[in-house]
This record gives sequence, structure tokens and C-alpha cells, in this order.
Amino acid sequence: MSLGLFQALTISARAMDTQQAGIAVTGNNLANVNNPNYSRQVLDISTSISVPTDIGMEGTGVQATGVQQIVSQALNSQIQSENSTASYWQTQQQALEFAQSDLGQQITSASSSSSDSSQGIASSLSDFFNELQNFSADPSSLSERQVLIGKASTLASQFNQVSQQLGALTSQLNDQLQTDVTNANQLLSDIAGLNQQISTEQIDTNSAPNDLMDMREQKLEDLANLVNFSVSSEANGSLDISIGGVQMVSGFNVTNTLSTYDAGGGQMLVEAGNGQTVTPLTLTGGSMAGEIDARDGSVATLNNNLNTLASQLITAVNTVHETGYGLNGTSKALFFTGSDASDIAVNTALVNDPSLIQASGTKGVTGDNTVALEMAQLANQLNPNLDNQTFGQSYDNTVATLGQSLSSASNEVSDQDTVQQMLSQQRSSISGVSLVEEMGNLSAYQTAYEASAHFMNAIDQMLQILVSLQSS
Amino acid sequence: MMRVTTNSISDTLIYQIDRVSANEQKLENEATTGLAVQNPSDNPGAMRSILDLEAESSAVTQYQANITQLQQQATTASSAMQSLQSIISQASTIATEADGTTNQSDLNNYATQVSQLIQEAAQAMNTQFEGNYLFSGTLNSTPPYVVNQNSSGQVTSVAYQGNTSVPSIEVAAGTTLSVLPVGANTTGSGPGGLVTDSRTGADLFNHLISLQNDLLAGNASTINGADLSNLQNDSDNVTQQIATNGALQQRMTAEANIAQTQVASLSQLTSSQADSDLASVMTQLTQTQTAYQAAVQATVGFQDLQMSILNFLD
Repeated sequence: MSLGLFQALTISARAMDTQQAGIAVTGNNLANVNNPNYSRQVLDISTSISVPTDIGMEGTGVQATGVQQIVSQALNSQIQSENSTASYWQTQQQALEFAQSDLGQQITSASSSSSDSSQGIASSLSDFFNELQNFSADPSSLSERQVLIGKASTLASQFNQVSQQLGALTSQLNDQLQTDVTNANQLLSDIAGLNQQISTEQIDTNSAPNDLMDMREQKLEDLANLVNFSVSSEANGSLDISIGGVQMVSGFNVTNTLSTYDAGGGQMLVEAGNGQTVTPLTLTGGSMAGEIDARDGSVATLNNNLNTLASQLITAVNTVHETGYGLNGTSKALFFTGSDASDIAVNTALVNDPSLIQASGTKGVTGDNTVALEMAQLANQLNPNLDNQTFGQSYDNTVATLGQSLSSASNEVSDQDTVQQMLSQQRSSISGVSLVEEMGNLSAYQTAYEASAHFMNAIDQMLQILVSLQSS
Repeated sequence: MMRVTTNSISDTLIYQIDRVSANEQKLENEATTGLAVQNPSDNPGAMRSILDLEAESSAVTQYQANITQLQQQATTASSAMQSLQSIISQASTIATEADGTTNQSDLNNYATQVSQLIQEAAQAMNTQFEGNYLFSGTLNSTPPYVVNQNSSGQVTSVAYQGNTSVPSIEVAAGTTLSVLPVGANTTGSGPGGLVTDSRTGADLFNHLISLQNDLLAGNASTINGADLSNLQNDSDNVTQQIATNGALQQRMTAEANIAQTQVASLSQLTSSQADSDLASVMTQLTQTQTAYQAAVQATVGFQDLQMSILNFLD
């Protein structure tokens, strides 16, 4: 004896249920077409259990067995690591762009038309040495002395300004690092929380909580933007996270949190701690490492180079100036005070009384310009402390070095952009929603639903015939 | 086959449009400023060269200013030397004319004229340039000569108040130059003395004073002899200084020409590094704009595609 008409009714009911579930999954996919964190879902369908009958195994129709998320874990972890790299270079690029604008060294007009189209310290330095030439041509003139003080003060204050702005950039990078650390800690605790929810739901419903997993993937990618980490998965679906070899999340718990510490001289670095032990971390990717490396790398180099240049300039000019005599026979006065770019200034005594500038090599001979000329000729002197370059060349080199770092960072950012675009295409290809596909599925489910309904109708009519036979 | 999804198409389009826009912005910036390099990161190597070249150009421009300063000094000095030469010539004429004169009152008149010439010579020697005395060496805030007279207006002495060093300034990297003689140099070395120089035996003021005194005393033989030949010697000395001055002026002109050529070639070098190749930029810009339009067109096409599948299923 084969299965009865009621069993056939059940088959059609289950079929309609299954198609309906398919339509629900399709609807969900369509609804999330523009959700960048969403991974498309498909309905898993299988035949329901066959029943042994007289005529053999007889099918009982179809059943929905689960909703599966289409993701590639390998691709996701690659995206995380590329995120770290991209974010590292973006942070560097941003910091160096600030440094470049702090330096203010730009070419502003077509050079063919003007001899000083550059601005910034380069032209101030030229102006200062050129004015020393003018001064050496008329060393007793008070007005030339006044002009010289003006040019020297401009140069000094430009050094001060750049130095101060680079200082501000450094503390801004420290602040960003602090913010990143706070955000990373929040993300770590979010991930631990999601681990717990995912594991619980998996036990309760015996199926994967797709949306929670999407959410956790998003948190992981956010964390990757901040810092490079490694992930290992547990049997219960939890993901364990470690940063720089220190375990941060284990199962449902945050085992260590990040904090910044001062490695000396305001150099903020990152460490992991759990209240008992503290481990300094060496970060390799993400914006945190970008901030640290920009600050201790190119920005620090720029600052050091400017400081060296300023201190060499102070020493060289003062050494010559000290040997001379002022208009009234005064001697031994400094021309520049200060020790580096941050505090270089023209000696206030000279500013107040330019006649104290010591241009003459012979006491009481005001027309003598030997010292002024010697100061002017410092412009062409190769300085062993500046890699055997002149002051101007050393500065130009500093500018080019910064430009090179920024240019490399920008190239890395651009390359990384392409890599990310490719990965996102791949992910989209695997996990993305296709309207065409979904519309096709929608039609298929709809048609199958309709067919099952017809089938149910047919069985119903057959049953009615049976019932009417009995009642007659 | 790679699965193409709805957003992968639009993402790609956005990415392409972004890239094209960024490129277009860069090219437009180049086209409007005419500069291939603006910021150090645009081309660090070129930036370095441009800054170096500009510093060099600025220094050479300064040397040009220094040269102009020296040229002006030399011209002013030259005109003082010319007056000195004319004074010497007048004194020589007086000495020659006085030769046949025995009338003491005529001789006294001549003597007065010589006193006058001494004053004029001192005035010429006290020529100033931009507020500084040209011929007192580096003591250039002091007039080089003061004339001392007795009560009857005769010159008793003319004292040199300057020194024997002259300031030199740079006319090219490492090359310093001075164009001025001093008033008197009896050290036997250093810059030439315009009126007194132990090397040539020139001592104009003392020789003029001798002439004045000899005229007053009626020493006809000395006037015609030693005085006249001394004046000739002084004149030779001034002539020599005028020649030196002329040579220096020529050298200045040469230095100025070199500097000018340098500035021009430096500017050309800078321009070759900094200026954008407008023809190529404009061509690239047109290409980029076409690419942009194509990308935007593709977006519209994509939208149509999306609409058509929905219309079809409707």
C-alpha cells in the first residue's frame, strides 16, 4: 500500500513552506543589497525522509534545512590584513602631508619669470645671506644694519614656527594614538561579547547566527584598521585575538587591554596589560603603528634636520660675529641666541641697537667689512656637520627627504587602494547580492509555490470526490 | 566565470570615476599653475634641484647687485680722478707760466691760485659715495683730507686722515674685489695711493704746497725744475690710477655679463624642472576628460540595465 492522499497534502504543504522560506531569504538578500557588511544567504534545501512502502521508498517531498551564509574566511582574513596595511600607510600619508604643509616649502609661480618663486625657510635663508652681502658693501650704514636685523629675525621666526608646528603635529599624533587605543579596547570587548552571543545562539538554535557573524566580521575589520592582529577560532565558534603575541580576547573574555605609556621624552607607545603584567607591544600595521612610525620616523627626522641646521647656523654665524667690532668698538656679542630651531632668535641687544652688530675686523674702523664679508661668505661654506653641504643645500635636502617619504607613502596608499578594490570585488563576487540572481530566485520560488498550490488543490479535489462518494 | 553582483558593478564604477577625477584634478592643477612641481612630494628630486637652483640664482642676483655697487663706486672715483688730473694740469700750467715772471705780485697771484687748487684737490679727494668717503680706506666715515691754512690763506699742510686698507666685496662666489685706491699709502704695499704713494714717489699735496711756497718766495729755478717734474710724477700716478680704474670697470662689465648669463641659464634650468609641459598636460587632460565621460556614461548604462531587469520581470 502506498502513502495516502493526506500524506500528499503534507508534501504540498511542506513544499509551499519551503518555497516561502526561499522567498523570505530572497527578500532578506534583496533588502540588504546595499548593506556593505552583509553576506548573501542561501536556503539549504533537501528532500525530506523517504518512507518505505509496498512499492519501495516513497519520497515525502522537500524541506528547508538551514540558511547558509556565503563567506570566504580566507578572503576575510586577507581583507583584515590588507586593511591594516592600508590604514598604516594612510595614517603616514596624512601625518606627512601635515608635516609638508607645516614646512611651507612650495613652488608658487613659474620660476622662469621670477628668481625667488619659492617660499619658506629656503628663501629666508637666501635673503639673510644676500642681505649680509649688501651689509658688507656698506657696513657702517645704520639702515643696512636695520634691514639685516629684519631679515635675520624673519629667518629665525620661520625656524621657530616650523619647529612649533612640528611639535604640535607630534602631540596630535600622540592624541590620535590615544583615541585609537580607546577604540581598539572597545572593539576587543565588543568582539568578546559577540563571541558569547554567537556561541550561545549556536547551541540554542543549532544553526549559525549569520547576522551576528557579519557584525563580528565588521568589528574585526574595524580593529584591523587600528592595529594588526592574529585570529584563531575555537570549536564553539569564538574567535581568539592576539596583538603582537599577547592574547587580548580568549573566548568570551577580554584578557588584556591596550594602553599607552611614555617611553621617555613624550614618546608614547602602546602596551598590553591585565592588571598584573604589562607587556610593551611592537605594532606592525594599522593606524596605531602608522602614527608611531610617522612620529618617530619622518616627522622626527625633519625636526632633527631643522634643529641641526639651525644650531649649525647659530654656531657658524656667532663664531664669526664674535671676532668683530661694532660701530662703537663693542665686541664679543652673539648674533643669534638659542640652540636649535625651536628657540633661535636674533640677540635682543642687537635688535635694540643695530650699531652693536660686529662687522669690522679692526676696532674703531667702521668702514672695515672683513667680518661682515666673512659672515656673508658662510653661505657657500661646506659644513662637515651638515654632510659637507652648505646651509642652503642641507635645507633643500631636508625638504627633498620629507618629500620622498610622503611620495612613497602616497604610492603605497595608491597601491593598497588597488589591492583593496580587488579584494572587495572578490568578496562582492562571493558574498555580494546580485539583483538579477535574486529576481531569478524569486521567480523560481514563486513558480514552485504556485505549482505546489495547484498540487494541493488537486489533492483537495480528490479528497472531496472521495468524501462525496461515501456520503451518497 | 567571476560572479558579478549588483554592487560590484557600481563599486567598480565609483572606483574608476574616483581615479579618473583624481588624475584630472592633478592635471588641471598643472595646467592652471603651469607648474609640474609644487610640493616636495610631487617630485622630491626635482624639488631639491629647484631649491638649489633658486638659491644659486638668488645668490648670483645678489652678486649682480654687488657688481652694480662697485661699478657706481668706480664711476664716482673716476670722475674725482679726472678732476685731480685737471688740477694737476692747471698747476703745471701755472708753474710753466710763472717761469718767465719776475714780478713778485704776479707770482703771489699765481701762489693764490695754487692755494685755491689745493683746496679743490682736497675737495675732489673728499668725494662721498652713499654717505661714505671714497678715498679714506676703511675709515670711510672720516673725510680723508683736511687742509690747514695760515691767516693769509696760504696752505700750510694737508693731512691724510684715512688708512691704507680698502673694503672689498664679493662679485662671484669666493671672488672678492675692491675698486678704490686710498688717498695716501706710504707703506710700500697694499692699495695704491691716489695722491701719495711711496712706490711711485707721488705726493701731490706736498708738491703743490712746495709750488705755492716757491711762488711766494720767487724761487724760479725750483718752480721750473723740481716742482714741475714732481707734478709730472703726480700726474703719472693719477693716470696710472685712472687706467687701473678703467681696467676694473671693464672687469666689472665682464663679471656683470657672466652673472647675467648665469641667471638666465639658471632660470632656464629651474624652468625645465619646475614648469609643466603644457602641450602634453593639455593632451592628457583631454584624454582624462574623455575617460571621465565614458565612466559616467557607463554609470547611466548600468542604471538602465538594472531598470530593464525589473521591467522585464514586472
